[in-house]
Amino acid sequence: MKYVAPSSVEEATSLLSSSPSAQVFAGATDVVPQLRSGRTAPEVLVDLKKIKELVEVNSDGDKWTVGAATPTAYLTEDESFSHEFPGLSEAAGLIGSDQIQNRSSLGGNLCNASPAADSVPAMVVNGVRAVVAGPNGTRVLDVSEVVTGPGQTTLDDDEFIVEFEIDKMPNRSGDAYLRMTPRTEMDIAVVGAGARVTLADDGSIEQAVLALGAVAPTVVRIPDAEQALLGSTADEETLNAVAAAASAACNPIDDKRGTVEYRKQVAGVLAKRAVVIAIERAEQRNGSN
Amino acid sequence: MAVGKDPARVDAVDKVTGLALYPADRVPDNALHAVVVFTNQPHARLVSIDLSKVVASPGVVTVVTAADVPVNEYGLTLFDQPVFIGLNDTGRSSVPCDISRWEADHLAVVVAESLSEARRASALIDTEWEPLPMASDVASAKTDEVLVHPGSSTNTYHTLQIRKGDAAQGMEAADIVIEGTYELPHQEHAYLQVEAATAWIDEQDRVTVETSGQWVHEDREQIAHALALDEEEVRVRYAAIGGAFGGKEDMSLQIVMAVTAHKLHALGINRPVHCGWSREESIVGHHKRHRATVTARLGSTSDGVITAVEADVWLDAGAYNYTSNKVLGNLHLSVAGAYNVPNARIDSRAIYTHSVPGGAFRGFGGPQGAFVAESQMNKLASKLGMDPMELRQRNALTDLSDGITQSGLPEGVGVTRVIDACVERVPPSEDLPNHPPFAPIASLPAETTQLRQGRGYAVGMKNVGFSFGFPEACEADVVFHGDVDDERPSRVELFHSAAEVGQGVHTALTQMVADAVGLDFECVEGSFSDTSTGGDSGSASASRLTFMAGNSVLGAVEEAEKTWADGARPAAGHFRYKPPATEALDPVTGEGQPNFCYGYMAQAVELTVDIGTGHIRVDRVVSVHDVGRAIHPQMLRGQIEGAIAQAHGYTLSEQLVVENGRIQNPRLSQYLIPGIGDVPGQVDCVILEGADPLGPWGARGVSEMPYITYAPAVTAALHDATGVWINKFPLTPSLVLEHLASVDS
Ligand SMILES: Cc1cc2nc3c(=O)[nH]c(=O)nc-3n(C[C@H](O)[C@H](O)[C@H](O)COP(=O)(O)OP(=O)(O)OC[C@H]3O[C@@H](n4cnc5c(N)ncnc54)[C@H](O)[C@@H]3O)c2cc1C
Repeated sequence: MKYVAPSSVEEATSLLSSSPSAQVFAGATDVVPQLRSGRTAPEVLVDLKKIKELVEVNSDGDKWTVGAATPTAYLTEDESFSHEFPGLSEAAGLIGSDQIQNRSSLGGNLCNASPAADSVPAMVVNGVRAVVAGPNGTRVLDVSEVVTGPGQTTLDDDEFIVEFEIDKMPNRSGDAYLRMTPRTEMDIAVVGAGARVTLADDGSIEQAVLALGAVAPTVVRIPDAEQALLGSTADEETLNAVAAAASAACNPIDDKRGTVEYRKQVAGVLAKRAVVIAIERAEQRNGSN
Repeated sequence: MAVGKDPARVDAVDKVTGLALYPADRVPDNALHAVVVFTNQPHARLVSIDLSKVVASPGVVTVVTAADVPVNEYGLTLFDQPVFIGLNDTGRSSVPCDISRWEADHLAVVVAESLSEARRASALIDTEWEPLPMASDVASAKTDEVLVHPGSSTNTYHTLQIRKGDAAQGMEAADIVIEGTYELPHQEHAYLQVEAATAWIDEQDRVTVETSGQWVHEDREQIAHALALDEEEVRVRYAAIGGAFGGKEDMSLQIVMAVTAHKLHALGINRPVHCGWSREESIVGHHKRHRATVTARLGSTSDGVITAVEADVWLDAGAYNYTSNKVLGNLHLSVAGAYNVPNARIDSRAIYTHSVPGGAFRGFGGPQGAFVAESQMNKLASKLGMDPMELRQRNALTDLSDGITQSGLPEGVGVTRVIDACVERVPPSEDLPNHPPFAPIASLPAETTQLRQGRGYAVGMKNVGFSFGFPEACEADVVFHGDVDDERPSRVELFHSAAEVGQGVHTALTQMVADAVGLDFECVEGSFSDTSTGGDSGSASASRLTFMAGNSVLGAVEEAEKTWADGARPAAGHFRYKPPATEALDPVTGEGQPNFCYGYMAQAVELTVDIGTGHIRVDRVVSVHDVGRAIHPQMLRGQIEGAIAQAHGYTLSEQLVVENGRIQNPRLSQYLIPGIGDVPGQVDCVILEGADPLGPWGARGVSEMPYITYAPAVTAALHDATGVWINKFPLTPSLVLEHLASVDS
């Protein structure tokens, strides 16, 4: 096995195009366990962290760009980012432990394509876009378009994500991400629920996006719940409808961590709680910031 | 005086600076590397084995198999397991060796120049197996359709019974009968330091194994037995031990590595050989806390006086006995609790299955028994509408009780003492305190309307020392140093085999020697756990070392005082302490004196449960212990907090999945031991010192006690919070929700 560390996007794409059995990595927190268990055995390992764009975070006032290999610790430690996207920041802060977060990246979390990846529902509800580089230049995908199933993505073998674009959080908007794990840390989500809402001037919900993790082969949106929320003030009845829609949107597996029944029930509970928190945050975010 | 104070542990600096070397750190430069190959067959007959590819593989030095073991049998209390599975019996083994009954039965040890070469080669063993029908759990083994050990006519190979008074009449006389079936789960020891060993032939030609275990002399005896050597021809010593909890009481690498060094020597290769297991190998390769099923009935008058207990115990021993017969005994005794029971019928059975062996684990059957006994008492209190501690006080064993085995109890029974102290700290009538807001996971705050709080209690006792007539003794040697005209020694050496498994025994013994001689703690120098220098201490188990080893050093110091007074310089003293004899129980009535000492405990647990997710947070534990005497209060609190953390995992999260004799989750990412965010938010240790008349400085023992009562206290608190009784655990969020749902509907 060979290790290479290209210093530019072009160098990386040409490396990938010329070596059929190459794999990129960022923090390698998924890759190393997979190498050890024999689940992956590339001939060339391409380290993305030496490419400047991939480890930079910028904000131009309209949007944030977060390098795909940036350690997720950045998202929890940067005050202005976590203030603007508390849900996404908290999702990043749930990945593993401090040690893991000093290595783990959004690109790796997304492209590892685990249904339980914590940052993904939070990225989906925030409409995050992935900038993908390949031999023919770059293309831009919604994060929700990247993963097609466990371990499967729409990226070609010689493509990788350079950075993520996140539009500024509008006024009277807020996000939240909650996850359920049997153990309080260092555990894999049994259910994850992301929510983002935007409030109208009268306090009713103008926009709502909800997404669940770990309850289906990919992250799933909950259109029925989003629909139920529109125009409402998230009264008890609406929240119950959200919970019911969330449970119905699940297509989970039965495994050691949680039965199908359990995942469905808790998906409802978390979706509801995530909406309530997102609304509280939206209420606080008006005018100046 | 050092006893009763908190001197820095003798191993503290080495352990916190990384200087302490554990078995896997001590790989000699010229060592060969070994891999133990498991059969990976829960039940199959070995038809053929071909090692030619292995031997031809690069770097391979030799392959060790059944053919290299003169006496191919192993067992701490019954020789029922082959050291290696192989084609031919040696004729000196009492167990057929060609049948694998456990996925981790050993097939071979592959020795190579490097670990990677050994690993690569070990995958090249060609075997043919004839699959055999499985009896993978108690339900299927009970029928005896498939026998795990065909030499016997039944899988139910060990039974115990108690017949006291007339249980049927006692139930008849009861106003209330509580009935329940309890499912007790496996638990993995999950010690930080997984199994590792280095073996060589030492300068005195002894087959030498350096590893970590719990009893060097037992390891030596088992190795000598398999190699048909005198015990003097074998030497076992321990490096630093990173936890054991009973999981290192049975043999893992000891025998096979000794056999490997022995074979290498015979081949003229005099190099040390090292083997270290991975976490997966460790989890698959050593025994577990027993799973068990118990059905129980408890009869009481309407004012809360116990009239009878009935119980049926089925203990899943797994494929080999290990210490199951002894664990069964403990469970058997504890299933009736720490109470006066005038009438009892208890039938207990250990059953062989094609599954992972059950064996020693902190509490040794006590936790299973206490879960049953205390759940029954908690249910009775709830049914009677009675204060659960008042109910216990009314039935508590005292110095005057005859006990479940009708033989009286060793003097100093402390049940009422611990109950009183627990109630004083946590009065059952008092409202729950306002625990900090429930947010087990930083970003998962509960809806406050979905939080329920509750409090529960449990009380128990646990034997200190070996039981049921098993030979119990502990040796110590001390040497006093000083000049001929010195009145008192200036320095004392202690030679002892007590295994320092993390509990702090080396420090406690150092304190005791210092005080017995009247020297400063720093003037005592200990050498430990080497059969070439220390006498037989017995194991680090059964909460016994403070009591047993403490008495042994007291005796040795007394002996040395005599030779010192006679003018010897240095003055040596040797002593072998034997406590009062215990007895095997009568096969029909269960009468007899099984133990010589007990420790007593009571716990109160307060918890919060999120009824939306089923997540439980334990807010506070008050753990009351009558320890006789606190030798080192800080280490004592460490034992209490550690035991509670381990019991917390047993009760709430640790779920070993075994299907058809195979462990499905031999990984710490899938087998969830609690993290720092999971363990109880607050543990209050309440230490009582009701001296044991025989204990050194009055000390009893404590290392298992805080573990034992935790699970039933938690389920009682959960009942207090939700009105639901759960007769099994771990109380994973999904199990909790499932039970809550069954009540709703
Ligand atoms: C102890 C531990 C705890 C963990 N806990 C959690 C947890 O709580 N929640 C959670 O979601 N995850 C958890 N993980 C998984 C892992 O840490 C995360 O998925 C992490 O975000 C992966 O990032 P990485 O940079 O380390 O990925 P890597 O391991 O470097 O890569 C992961 C995958 O993505 C691909 N990849 C990486 N970067 C790119 C890119 N820019 N473009 C295209 N493909 C790319 C790689 O080829 C590989 O297939 C845990 C892992 C460990 C070891």
